[in-house]
Formats: sequence, structure tokens, C-alpha cells
Amino acid sequence: DHGYGLPTAAKECLSSVAGQDVPTPQRPRAVFHTSESDPAKHTEQHEGRHYSIPLEEVKAVFPHGLPYRFQQQIQTFNEARVMVRRPALELFAYLRSTSFAHPAVRYVIYGERGTGKTMTLCHVVHFCSRQGWLVLHIPDAHLWVKNCRELLQSSYKKERLDQPLQASAWLKNFKTSNERFLREIKTQRKYVWGKRESTEEGRPLGEVVEQGLARVRTASDAVGVVLRELKLQSPRGSFRLLVAVDGVNALWGRTTLRKEDKSPVSPGELTLVHNLRKMVMNDWSGGAVVTTLSQTGSLFKPSSAFLPQELLGKEGFDALDPFVPVLVPNYSPREFESCYGYYLERKWLQHEKARTEDGKAELQFLSGSNPRQLDRLAGPL
Amino acid sequence: MAAPSAAGLGRRLRAWVPRLMQVRWSRYNPSYLEPEVNKELYQKPLEELTEEEREQMELKAVRPIKAAPPTLSSSVFSDPMISKFTNMMMRDGNKVLARSLMTQTLETIKRKQLEKYHKAPENEKETIECNPYVIFHQALKNCQPIIGLSNITKGGKTYQVPVPLKDNRKRFLAMKWLITECRENKHRRTLMPEKLSQELLLAFKNEGPVIKKKHVLHKMAEANRAYAHFRWW
Repeated sequence: DHGYGLPTAAKECLSSVAGQDVPTPQRPRAVFHTSESDPAKHTEQHEGRHYSIPLEEVKAVFPHGLPYRFQQQIQTFNEARVMVRRPALELFAYLRSTSFAHPAVRYVIYGERGTGKTMTLCHVVHFCSRQGWLVLHIPDAHLWVKNCRELLQSSYKKERLDQPLQASAWLKNFKTSNERFLREIKTQRKYVWGKRESTEEGRPLGEVVEQGLARVRTASDAVGVVLRELKLQSPRGSFRLLVAVDGVNALWGRTTLRKEDKSPVSPGELTLVHNLRKMVMNDWSGGAVVTTLSQTGSLFKPSSAFLPQELLGKEGFDALDPFVPVLVPNYSPREFESCYGYYLERKWLQHEKARTEDGKAELQFLSGSNPRQLDRLAGPL
Repeated sequence: MAAPSAAGLGRRLRAWVPRLMQVRWSRYNPSYLEPEVNKELYQKPLEELTEEEREQMELKAVRPIKAAPPTLSSSVFSDPMISKFTNMMMRDGNKVLARSLMTQTLETIKRKQLEKYHKAPENEKETIECNPYVIFHQALKNCQPIIGLSNITKGGKTYQVPVPLKDNRKRFLAMKWLITECRENKHRRTLMPEKLSQELLLAFKNEGPVIKKKHVLHKMAEANRAYAHFRWW
């Protein structure tokens, strides 16, 4: 056995808990887990605990969007466990009480580096997909403004630029997560893709996605069509739309892309970014927009910047204003205990000193209770 | 702990120059003491200290202490073998890169072993070692040669003579072979942590090219047994 005693903070968890999650004395580590796998039923009682998502559901709901280190963790431990934290619970309360007749409310999740903004967004996406919403998840908007090998001139508007690879990758993942809706939603207008290809009015939206995947040149325009249709049809109320964008500050910053004459490209000149900007506006109803600010992949922003004004800039802030800011802090002592206990239980912390009180104190000090730092430190131990 | 007086500083603690120039020496005056990093020693109350420790504490009150080198760590997770290996992997003084490669290697070993562990049936789970430090130490121990060869010139001809090796030399050879093997014999696109983790896992099981090299050295030493009497130390 591991041979560690229950630390004081964990004892507080034990005493404050009531109901079916009360652990038996023989299994103290159950205090860090909860068997409630439906995010809709998560309450303050579950705060600091890990809930598991079945692996099939992970493949269906998150074809893209989970951080790389978390995907590695899923593969190593053979399970996907996410911690329930206060910012996510706050967002659930807001989303439950949204009125779908009013314009969509924008929520901006912000915080310092490595505090868990993307994981909070993924938790919200899981909640909405369980509730039956249509989830439009853009995993990282920064990927659309940098490292693009192919930039084509858009056939629709002369001054815009298309990104076929990024658009087709996104369409593929979008198809996996929202099969059901793509069959039900019908187009409202005829779309002409080329001399011989067109999509008639009243065809399912899945055909537009197929068109974008088959003819990669038109993929960016297909993405634009999908976004437009969803925005127009969402106020009718047949489905609820969640727009989840990670790294929304990429839409109003600068890009590292250049045109053929070496002049810099501004984000507004990219078709994908242009259409996404329209989606993030609050001129439609019947859903919500949850976004995350991210400094990690951002371009030309200092590493100490994390506040909305700093990362969005004037243009972005004016575009997103008014929004509801949600701060994601570092781990509280209780959450740290939970994470540490989880690592110990899954045998991730192998060093014999990591199990001692000294080791735990050192981990807490070195990581500063920052989730990413703790993960990085616990890696080699 | 009172600091030494300013006059004493000038007279007694002059920078020290040896009478005969050494190859490897330090400018510290011999009266400087080494820094003590062991936390437990400071947390012990005065009564529990032995005579020597008490003398040492009193000496620290009057003697200056040397600056702590960057490799000296009071962390409970620090390991001298891992530090030595990291230093040997370092190139152009890039300790940050060497250390990150080492941590990534340990993490890769742990991931591979944990995946095997979780997929194995119950009775085999005990045999799988998941602790990367145990694997690292055992692999190095398996790679250490017992006997080495030395060039001795006698009568104009140079012979390869089998000689016993000191512990430091054994450890050095094991680490050197591992690092050269990982640097040279890998595919252009494989990264160092991936290759090192593979080699360490093979050496842990007593297989792999480094163990083969050790066996080759032993065989050579066995073949040259006849010249063993050339050694005079």
C-alpha cells in the first residue's frame, strides 16, 4: 500500500461531504473522485473532485480541443478524469438560466498561464453536449493565424484569403461531434461552389460539410456557410447553439502570415477569421458564446499579459464588449490535495520521497499551486 | 553567528595561492568551510547533536562559508547520479536543455512502463517496475564494466593489458557509452528522450547495444589474459 495518511485538508473534504459520495475508511482515495459523470449534476459538493468521462464519449465529444498533455494522460491512465472547479460551476449556473429569446451572452474565461482555462472550456463543452446543444468548438484560434502553408485567394471575395488545410481539418472534426444536427438542419438558400457544383435549398447541412471536405479549395467557404446557417437558424429554437472558441484573442491581434508580395496579412483578411468574428457577435439569439483568452499561443504579446484588455487589444475588447469575465485561479489548497492524491493513486508519482510530507510541501512550493507547473513537475517524479 | 571582524578579514582571508601550481585548485582560503544543505541537521535540537556535530556548529560561528555551487540542491528529489548524467549530456554549457531532456526521458520511461502495467494481467503487475529512478540506476549498474583495458608499452610494442577499474571510472564509462550510443545510432528524426528511454529500458533488462559493448570489452580482457602480468600497480 502507499502508506500515506490523510492530510488535514483532505479530512476537511471528508467532513464537508454528505450523500452517496461518502467514502468508507478503507478507501480514503475515493475522496478525490466522484461517480457523477453528468456535468449537469455537478454542484459545490463536487468541487475539487475528479469525474470521469467514458472514453467513447471523449472520442465523440472531443475530436479536437483537449490539451496535448491531457490527451497523453488519458492514454497513460486509460481514463479521462477532469476536476470540477468553481469557474465551471459558475458558468453552468449562467448557462442554465440563459433566456434563449435574448441575444447571446458572451463569456470570457481568463487567467494566468496554466491555470486551467482550456480545461474549463472543455468541461463546459461536455456539459452542453450532454444537454443536447449544438457545440461549435474551435480548439485554438491561434492555429488559424500562424504557420499556414497554403494561402489561396478566395474565389468569393477577391481581397480575402482562404486556408484550405485548417478549414478541412476543422470540418472533419466538426462532423464527428455533431452528426445528428447535420442531418436535421436544412440550408435556407442555394450555394454555388463552382461551375458544376452547387447545394440546393433545403438540403441537409451535412452536404455542405461533405462538399468542403471533398473539394478542399472550397473548405473555407463551406465553413462560412455552416456558420451563417447556424446563426440564422438558431433563433428559431429547434436547437441551442454553443460557440466555444479557445484563444479568442487571436481574432483581433496580428498574424505571422504574409502574402506573396511579402506584405503582412491582417486577421480580417482571412475568410475563417472574418466569419468567426461575425459568429462571436451578440446579434443572434438562442444560445451562448463561451471563449477563452490564451497567451500561450498568442503572437506578439508579452508572456506576463493575461487580462482581457491586454490580450484583446482595443479592437477586440470593443468587439467583445459587453461580456461576462470568468477568472480561473490557481489551485486552492483543497484542489491541490485532490490533484496530488489523484496522482498518487494512479501511481503517477513514483519517487519514494514524493509520498512524504516534505515531498508534497516541496511540490506545492515549486509549482505555486499552478496546475500546469504541478503537472510538469510531477512528470519525471 | 558573529561575522569575522574586518581586520581579520584582511589578514587571514587573503585569496589563497598554493606554493606549487596545481592543475585543479581553488582560490578559497583553506579556512573556508563547505555549505551544509541537510535540513534535518538544522532541525535537530541542540541536545541530540553528537560531539562532532556540536564542534562543527561552533566552528561555523567563526569561519566563513564557501558559496554554494549551482548543482548543490536541498530538494528531496535531487539525485547525484542523475545530476552527473545530465552534466555529461550537456553541450556548450546548455544546462537548461540537458535538464529538460533528462526530465522528458524519465517521464517517457514512466509512461511506457505505466501503460504496460495497466494492460498487464493481475499476476504480472508486480513484476513490472514503474519507478524511472530505479530503472535508471539499475540500467547504469548493468552497463558498468568489471574490468578494463589499458595501453602499456613494453619493448617498443603497445599491449592492451586487462586492469581493474575504479568505481568512478566504471560509472563514467557506463554513462559515456549510453550517451554516445544515443547520440550516434539513432534515426535523424528520433528525439533524444525517446532513444534514451529505449536504451535505458533495454539495459535494465540486460539487453541492448550498450550491454553488448560491455561484453565485448570483457571478452577482449579475457583474451588478453596473458599480458596481465605487465601491470605494475
